[in-house]
Amino acid sequence: MKTSHDTLRLGILSTAHVHTDAYVGLLGGTHSVADGGARTWSEGLTAAPIPGVELIGVADADAARGQAFAARHGVRFFASYEALLAERPDGVIVCAENARHRDLVERAAAAGVHVLCEKPLAITTEDAEAMVAACAQAGVILMTAFPMRFSPVMTEVKTLLDRDGLGKVYAVNSANNGQMPARHRAWFVDRELSGGGAGMDHIVHLADLLRWYLRSEVTTVYARFNRILHADKVDVETGGLVMLTFTNGVFATIDCSWSRPLGYPIWGGLSLEIVGERGVVAADGFRQNLINYGSQDVLTSWLPWGTDADRAMVAEFVSAIREGRAPAVTGEDGLRAVEIVMAAYRSAESGQVVILPG
Amino acid sequence: MRVGIVGAGAMGMTHAAAWPCTLATLAGVVAKTPDLARPLADGYGCRVYPSLGALLPDVDVVDICTPTHLHHQMVLQAAAASKHVICEKPLARTVAQGQEMIAACRHAGVKLLVGHVVRFFPEYALAKQTVAGGSIGKPAVLRLSRVVFQPRKADDNWFVDFEKSGGMVMDLMIHDFDYARWVAGDVATVYARNILSGNPDAGVDHGLAILMHRSGAISHVEGSWAYPPPTFRTAFEIACERGLLAHDSAATAPITVYAHKQGERAGDVPLPASPLAESPYTTEIKAFYHAIAEDAPVPVSAADGLAAVQIALAAIESAQRGVPIALAPLPEVQP
Repeated sequence: MKTSHDTLRLGILSTAHVHTDAYVGLLGGTHSVADGGARTWSEGLTAAPIPGVELIGVADADAARGQAFAARHGVRFFASYEALLAERPDGVIVCAENARHRDLVERAAAAGVHVLCEKPLAITTEDAEAMVAACAQAGVILMTAFPMRFSPVMTEVKTLLDRDGLGKVYAVNSANNGQMPARHRAWFVDRELSGGGAGMDHIVHLADLLRWYLRSEVTTVYARFNRILHADKVDVETGGLVMLTFTNGVFATIDCSWSRPLGYPIWGGLSLEIVGERGVVAADGFRQNLINYGSQDVLTSWLPWGTDADRAMVAEFVSAIREGRAPAVTGEDGLRAVEIVMAAYRSAESGQVVILPG
Repeated sequence: MRVGIVGAGAMGMTHAAAWPCTLATLAGVVAKTPDLARPLADGYGCRVYPSLGALLPDVDVVDICTPTHLHHQMVLQAAAASKHVICEKPLARTVAQGQEMIAACRHAGVKLLVGHVVRFFPEYALAKQTVAGGSIGKPAVLRLSRVVFQPRKADDNWFVDFEKSGGMVMDLMIHDFDYARWVAGDVATVYARNILSGNPDAGVDHGLAILMHRSGAISHVEGSWAYPPPTFRTAFEIACERGLLAHDSAATAPITVYAHKQGERAGDVPLPASPLAESPYTTEIKAFYHAIAEDAPVPVSAADGLAAVQIALAAIESAQRGVPIALAPLPEVQP
């Protein structure tokens, strides 16, 4: 176990995901967004690097992409994942395309390296189960990147619920809408690599948040997907509505649609409204914005000033490694969210309600 | 054109206020009892009738503002007397009743308007018109929300009597079911959940529904009788191929009154608060700590503080004397 005085050495496996830019900034690299100003979750006030952590470098099977990334951020590039893992880092962040998470997580586990894996954990339940098992067997941490659990807005709601501020909770109306992400990274709409469209991309954050808030598991899933938005550009679903019921009787909807047009003032958002016995709490994880009204050639945009949740998430990964304990969000949490996504696809396919085994 | 209103509750009063804006004459009012009809009749200078049957011979149009379960029989009665009918929503408590009402009016050759008033709200009408104009393409994903408190009535609260009203889903969400269908076309499937179905004793209701339209569009409809009074908030988003239309009544309310209340209590000094990992006060103290520890310049200089004092004192002087005050440059304070 590392003590708090040792510098923790972390690496990044693959730079496929747009969030990689934010992570590298938190680990001491240069925080710069190169490709056309990706408006992501993390682009608030630039968070200070997490102290006591050293980024040993990034590896990427796509050498051109990885080298460009490394040069942009002033970090070392490893020509192979093996080469990075051979440096025996304490932990890695897996930022690969969704379909490649399993391979990289298993490699890290085999090397005895702790893992923080981007969401969704995997594109099939089988993959997610294998990843959880591999990390458990290797005795390494598997944490799923669900930053909303670390958002001060969302934790305040959690506190309110935990002190029974709403009484019995009855229902939740939630939405995680965004712009169609292909302009940031083409693989997001390539089914082979992403596993699906808006459903794969945007169900998991809220599915996880709801499990955490309600302390209850999902029992039934109903979903409807469509592909009207961007139908000419992509062959994955771009619109989706999901209804979940939980073992405690709560019902909740998730709107996972990529329904924010390019002219929208920000990448998207995540919000929910929880209805209980004593009233309603409505929370918006991305409301803390400054409005920058545009001119003829500059779109009006929202400039976020809220706390960057990624920083606390990565800090939790670091603390869990240091303290030799399970992280606040585990691989099992990632697996549960994947199961819900898979059930949503089955429901959308059949038009029927899918029951999850308890 | 002579009009008779049936029902003198909130809707009867609202419709009564609208008729004088036409050339029609408000001829009479029927309520459950003559006493209930009296204030409305007095207000508009028309007669109280003891029953719909008594009213019919004196009017050309019947405006039905009664509880839902009464619509069926009353529309049939009006149609049988060959009177045009405006009927509050929902049209009927069952589809079969509604079909019978439509057939009766068609057979009698009278017009039947169902009071889906949302279509006449300008923000909703404009959104429909914008989508129908085609400039932003086909609708794909709709979100419609209507959240209010549970309706109250001094006695006989038929709203909460499921048999009479159909509950929140039938009475409130029906507005947005109609609107979703108006914008995105016929509905093929509905999947819905509400509090009442699982918790009949909850005392409030909240419903969420997913509609699949034949066009392929999907709609999320939210209705609530679970908010505290006096909430009445409506919102929608209509995501189309080339644009997103959004409305939120809370964001477009042009007038907000912040009234002092008797006996209000709060902290001694207001402090702004928004959930953040680090309070701005902490950020400030840390910045000063680092300036001392690292012997660096402080981020807010004392000269900035002095300049602010000068502005504030000039503002006080200006307010007291009623003249603009020119500020002289402050000399640098020598250490």
